[in-house]
Amino acid sequence: MITESVEEYLEAIYRLRERGEAATTTSVAKELRVAPASVTEMLKKLANQGYLKYAPYRGVTLIPKGEKIGKKILRKHRIMEKFLSTLGLPKSRIHKDACELEHHIPDDLERAIHQKVEGEKPLPSGAPSNVVPLTSLLDRQKGVISFIGGGRGASQRLADLGLTPHTEITVVKSALFHGPLMISVRGTTLAIGRGVAARVFVRVK
Amino acid sequence: MPTAEKEPITIALAGNANVGKSVIFNYFTGLHQHIGNWPGKTVEKAEGTLHFKGRTIDVLDLPGIYSLSAFSIEERISREYIAIEKPDVVINIVDASALERNLFFTLQLLELETPMIVALNQVDVAEGKGITIHVPELQKFLDIPVISTIATRGTGLDKLLNKAVKVAKSKKLARPARYGREIEEKIRRVTKLVEKIPIKYPPRWVAIKLLEGDEEIRKIVGRIDPKLVSSAERHARDLERIHGEPCSIIITAERYNVANKIARKSQRITPPRGPSLTERLDAVTTHPIMGYPILIGVMLLVLFTVFTVGGYLSGFFEDVMEPIQGAFGGGAGELIGGGLLGGLIAGVAIVLPFILPFYLILTFLEDSGYLPRAAFMTDSLMHHMGIHGKAFIPFILGYGCNVPACLGCRVMETERERTIAAFVVTLVPCAAVTVVVLGLVGAFVGIHWALALYLLNLVIIFILGRVAFKVLPGESMGLIMEMPPYRKPHARSVLKETWMRVKDFVYIAFPLIIIGSVVLTGLKVGGLLEPIGNALSPITVGWLGLPAITGVMLIFGILRKELTLVMLATLMGTANFATVLTPTQMIVFAIVVMYYIPCIATIAALVKELRWKKAAYITVFEIAFALLLGGIAFRLLTLA
Repeated sequence: MITESVEEYLEAIYRLRERGEAATTTSVAKELRVAPASVTEMLKKLANQGYLKYAPYRGVTLIPKGEKIGKKILRKHRIMEKFLSTLGLPKSRIHKDACELEHHIPDDLERAIHQKVEGEKPLPSGAPSNVVPLTSLLDRQKGVISFIGGGRGASQRLADLGLTPHTEITVVKSALFHGPLMISVRGTTLAIGRGVAARVFVRVK
Repeated sequence: MPTAEKEPITIALAGNANVGKSVIFNYFTGLHQHIGNWPGKTVEKAEGTLHFKGRTIDVLDLPGIYSLSAFSIEERISREYIAIEKPDVVINIVDASALERNLFFTLQLLELETPMIVALNQVDVAEGKGITIHVPELQKFLDIPVISTIATRGTGLDKLLNKAVKVAKSKKLARPARYGREIEEKIRRVTKLVEKIPIKYPPRWVAIKLLEGDEEIRKIVGRIDPKLVSSAERHARDLERIHGEPCSIIITAERYNVANKIARKSQRITPPRGPSLTERLDAVTTHPIMGYPILIGVMLLVLFTVFTVGGYLSGFFEDVMEPIQGAFGGGAGELIGGGLLGGLIAGVAIVLPFILPFYLILTFLEDSGYLPRAAFMTDSLMHHMGIHGKAFIPFILGYGCNVPACLGCRVMETERERTIAAFVVTLVPCAAVTVVVLGLVGAFVGIHWALALYLLNLVIIFILGRVAFKVLPGESMGLIMEMPPYRKPHARSVLKETWMRVKDFVYIAFPLIIIGSVVLTGLKVGGLLEPIGNALSPITVGWLGLPAITGVMLIFGILRKELTLVMLATLMGTANFATVLTPTQMIVFAIVVMYYIPCIATIAALVKELRWKKAAYITVFEIAFALLLGGIAFRLLTLA
């Protein structure tokens, strides 16, 4: 039986990796808002149980067993967030509730909710939901915007430039050193910083 | 209907950035234009007049924006101007090569219910992309006149002006486009409520803004009828429940739906064979490897050009003006010769020669489309300084001269980002500081010490930039910018733009430089320098461990930083500084000069970009910081 806390850790590490940040004791602690000391303990434990590789001071890397769980929990979290927001709940509650629910949603229920909120044909059974941040797309890959998280200013600015839900966007290229992404949307080319792009969630085509 | 006295007309130009708005503005107004600021704002306001068929026409160039959502000052200014000041006609300039995105803005303008006409510009660029637009069809959808133009060649512009005047005279208001049923229903309900209250804006527009949760409009309406705001909020919640998005995003998406429909129905796209010029250039200029040498090359070329041309012009003006200055002697004579003329010479011979080529090149690069590419390549580096890619060019220019660098900070979108960028830029050691560092520390202490000072400077910039990023209030958007296609710069527009900018700078900076110069000379003539030097000695001697005479030099350095070294030589009576200063004193002196104050011309530039208060904060902070750092360095170095 995997405990909720294990799931939380793997989710956080997966989230960091998705953003292109190194998963160190400090960054994981910051992500989970816990003390670095307890993180070190837990990371060692997770390494012993074969979820990840742990190198002191260098950070951790997920190995397939841990990666699978981290990815799944994060996906459930996002679907629950999206679902809760359709209920018109305040933003402050949505994240908190999604953090709770993500550990208790069976896979088939997740798929059903996903179909409901994304309004698409039923996914082939067992297929993972494919909503990812824009930053995890490769060059020349296309995606359809699912939702944009984060501050109101930036999301409105993005919407004004044509990045509204259900719009198709293509990643043209991304700059080195975690630089910005060049994207093409509605016949125009834009550059958006990586921090901004990490909050744009797309369904991969 | 002929009348003897024709009424003057006001035309406002509105549109996205990079659509050729300024080219049209220049075509209409020629040299009869002036650039100022909007009252109380740091946003540029360009106005001009022309005479057309016996009628005076005022043309106002609104800032290039993508929306009227009031998140930036530019957007707020634009919509206030159109809704409240009510120009006789708005010319909406639309980029034919990016029709959908441009129509999104057009739809927002239509919501303001003002006489309006569309200039479908850059049809040549659109054709290059394989896009042909059926003008009558577009006209039918928008229900306002559409004129296709190629501004850079002057094509269609006379027709545009003619039509604009006609629309202005007819006073026919544009009708807002209709949105989807759900949304229209909500808009209709809220509009009904708004119609009952006295408000200067079009009721439907107010209703939409209330649904979007627009802060400004909520405040205005809230003062008249707070219940109206909360019932609009309830309607907005209803929409949010259905769509699962904030209402402002729902409405934005709906406008884009309509824009998309109009664009699809009025344009035909035949994809061109092979990659476009922009694509081919982009493949190289933003290439992960090749892009960087190109960037460095362009930057070096800019610095080199600015400094060779600037140096040449500077020398030329100095030769011409020096003899004039020498003709004045005696107390009052020196005040005029040294103060007034000295200040003028500093302006003409030192600042202007560098500003002129800089503005020319900056405008050229801006017009060509390279600047966004440079920002794209350097964004992640600049993030470490608390700013983003767009501040890269100003930052690099700072090493030449802080003045154009500060002026270049206007490319940052938000006030907060502009402030941080300008602050960071004033910490960059300019060429004059380099003269002091190399001429003093480099020559007499050792080149490795000079390099260490530069390294320390970089570290300090990174730290202070980040601190400013953390403590300054306001929103930082991060990098979100358009990458317009590359294009051949339009020579006349570039020259005109350069001229306007230089003129604008002279108006602001020259009075400051001249007054500063007169005051300093006055102090010298009045024999006050020595007392001031002595008054400062607790700081210079006590805290920094420097000779008392340096106080006077530092004061003169406010005018021109390289003057500190020149004066050091004259006042000490020797150019062999090793005989008068210890190595520690040289290093401390160089550190203080590096940071202690932006020179007076830079302060003028700061005032122009950020206004007095922030310019004063930055100045005071840098003086305190320089003294602190100098004092610490003095203690550390004497310890060692």
